[in-house]
Amino acid sequence: MNDRYSRQSFLGTNSEALFQSVRAGLVGLGGGGSHIAQQSAHIGIGRFALFDPDATEFPNLNRTVGATFEDAISKTPKVIVAERMIKGINPYAEVWPIQLEWQKDFESLRACDVVFGCLDGFSRRAQLEESCRRAMIPLIDIGMDVHKGEPYSISGQVVVSMPGKPCFKCLGFVRDKDLDEEGRRYGEAGGNPQVVWSNGVLASTAVGIFIQMLAPWCRINPGSAFLGYDGDRFTLEHDARCAVTVNQNCEHFVSVGDLGDPFWKP
Amino acid sequence: MAGEGELRELDQLCIEPKEFTEFDRNYILLPQLRLPDGCTPAVVDALLCLSARDGYATRLFYAQQITTRKALNWNAQNVPILQRSWFAYSWNYVASGRPIEVLAQHLKALQ
Amino acid sequence: MNSHFKLTVTLLDHVIADLSRPHPFAAERAGFIGCKVSRNREGILILAHTYVPLQDDWYADDQRYGCFFNADAMRVAMQFALTNDASVFHIHMHEHRGRPWFSRIDLRESRKFVPDFWNVRPNLPHGTLVVSTDSAAGLCWYPSENKPTKISRITTVGFPMKFLERLT
Repeated sequence: MNDRYSRQSFLGTNSEALFQSVRAGLVGLGGGGSHIAQQSAHIGIGRFALFDPDATEFPNLNRTVGATFEDAISKTPKVIVAERMIKGINPYAEVWPIQLEWQKDFESLRACDVVFGCLDGFSRRAQLEESCRRAMIPLIDIGMDVHKGEPYSISGQVVVSMPGKPCFKCLGFVRDKDLDEEGRRYGEAGGNPQVVWSNGVLASTAVGIFIQMLAPWCRINPGSAFLGYDGDRFTLEHDARCAVTVNQNCEHFVSVGDLGDPFWKP
Repeated sequence: MAGEGELRELDQLCIEPKEFTEFDRNYILLPQLRLPDGCTPAVVDALLCLSARDGYATRLFYAQQITTRKALNWNAQNVPILQRSWFAYSWNYVASGRPIEVLAQHLKALQ
Repeated sequence: MNSHFKLTVTLLDHVIADLSRPHPFAAERAGFIGCKVSRNREGILILAHTYVPLQDDWYADDQRYGCFFNADAMRVAMQFALTNDASVFHIHMHEHRGRPWFSRIDLRESRKFVPDFWNVRPNLPHGTLVVSTDSAAGLCWYPSENKPTKISRITTVGFPMKFLERLT
């Protein structure tokens, strides 16, 4: 094993080669996705598909890991910031910096082994989950919110949608009423409050789950996961809903017709 | 699901309409749908969703945004359905029913 | 043609449980896996969804072969492909550790029966897989290509993910 990964040798003698061969898809390279990109590169993940249409701006600098003052002046695309960061850690990484909405490049998404969803909004999450299920790709979603209440409250979640296992709807994470409300909304809601430390907790947990998926170091098998983050008390706990459903099969993604390409031609 | 006769009614407006089901929702693909006068482009691939989704009883999606005489609120952008990306304007309360009638109601927004 | 075959851990467990059952006279069991396909940036995705086991009376009692299935088996598999618009992959198991490969007889017979699936689904790839206790290998016949190609990757999706074959 290469010296640089010697401190993670407990992940297995083949882990270095395994991590190098895996392609991680990162949808959203803002506060959450930038942390995930950095940590994945440090661990030795060798292939990345980065999806984000946006450029770096000053309001991003409070939380986008790898972004600099100069990036905000030059409006460097977020995927380029992430690519630069990944290659600075691992120059041999293969990176696809896709400065597009992920929905405009399905073929690149389908080439990923695992996808991290770092998006705002339930509709966008649900849509990404549908496409990942169609290609049988595990999806690890993270997100945080700041709510008004005494006077503010920070919360978040890490949710795993594993093909065959409970989906966002099974876990109660995405509800039809949330999708209906967002669908009827006029225009964009505007930027949600975001801070680097909460994003860091959620992103680190997501990366840990990812590595446990690839190279488990213990006998605990999460199967599915819905971890709720209390950013005021600094706790991360399994959501009670997940405990009930974790060993069940998905009730929503059951049709064979929802796999693959409905317009397949050789 | 629409009957064969109901699909054939759509032949006058597009090329070979075809039904699909995705994630328990029913759609009719309308390739090269001819749009009302004053629309740019005049012809576009469209997807009629006859099932409730995102707070709409039915919805008409387009392969691209349409320019019309009226201003429309395109509040659905890059919606992935059947592994293609679609756009839709806000035009609600069109109940599901005979596809050609549902389609006509949605196209009224472009006139 | 770069191809990536994926199946859930649950489905693979179901397949292995069936293939591990003893048969009155066949040395090996076999089955068929129905799949959907898709294209990605590197090639094609073959997404397994349904396992169709060979029933006990679909095996032919021929001591020249470890496993030989009869016309009933083929008829059911072809009907499955037609009804479900499915790619079909034959699968059997070799009980050892490490990367398996097809025997000479496996290869000879596969070349005969796999292309028959194009009679019902000519636009889809079809093929054959062999699994061991910890690895797998496969061949894919792609439409309009005379010869099969090795399946580049075989992955089980679940906790944990297992990369049973990784040629690329």
